[in-house]
Amino acid sequence: MDRPRIIGDTMIVPSDQEYLADIDAFLEATLRGFGVDESIIADIAISVSELVNNAMLHGNKSAADKSVTIKLLRENSSVKITISDQGAGFDPDSIEDPLAEENLMKEIGRGIFIVRSLMDSVDIEAATTGTTVTIAKAF
Amino acid sequence: MRLADREQDGIVILEPKGKIMGGPDATLLHDKLYEYIDQGKKKVVVDLSKVDWMNSTGLGILISGYTTLRNNEGILKLANVTDKIQSLLTITKLVSVFEAFDSIEDAVASFK
Repeated sequence: MDRPRIIGDTMIVPSDQEYLADIDAFLEATLRGFGVDESIIADIAISVSELVNNAMLHGNKSAADKSVTIKLLRENSSVKITISDQGAGFDPDSIEDPLAEENLMKEIGRGIFIVRSLMDSVDIEAATTGTTVTIAKAF
Repeated sequence: MRLADREQDGIVILEPKGKIMGGPDATLLHDKLYEYIDQGKKKVVVDLSKVDWMNSTGLGILISGYTTLRNNEGILKLANVTDKIQSLLTITKLVSVFEAFDSIEDAVASFK
């Protein structure tokens, strides 16, 4: 695919970080439509940006023929978002502790930690056909 | 994200505006920071007052600049850290790494 597509509350995007701002605009507009508070929108936007970056760079390895799907769902007073890639998957247990002294000054490796800190729940399903991360946040 | 940059009393002041989320925006901040470092500048203040939020990519750029400057007897300091970014610095324990000031003037004065 060469351009992002929006279908309802779902956005499908090529693995190109040029589209990060488009994803953020779609995300924030949809969350406002759900009635989510602005302070919570920022936490969700930070989390989704982390997961989309991971999906594009580490999952799809920026392959032009692979896409990332962002799907939003409102469930009563909470929002559930899934971010899926088409990569080869990874072992979530292999993520190092970014707070460990030897990792504190590393430039990378904090994304999932930050998402876990900001969201109410984070579920990672990694398979050889792709990784799907589901986050949820009450508002 | 947009980025303004200037020098005051020999101190580089970078003023990003918007969201630092990765991709081309983050490259802009990284490249401008290293442009000054490559020129031999050793004192840098990053004013965060107009940054809506940043993610780990933004934190990584700040750490990279801080480390590179420190290894060259320089330093990177922060000014006007917003509550949102302060929260991120706290949960990642980076609050113990960066010197942060309530204004650009205070940050600049701290170098004297």
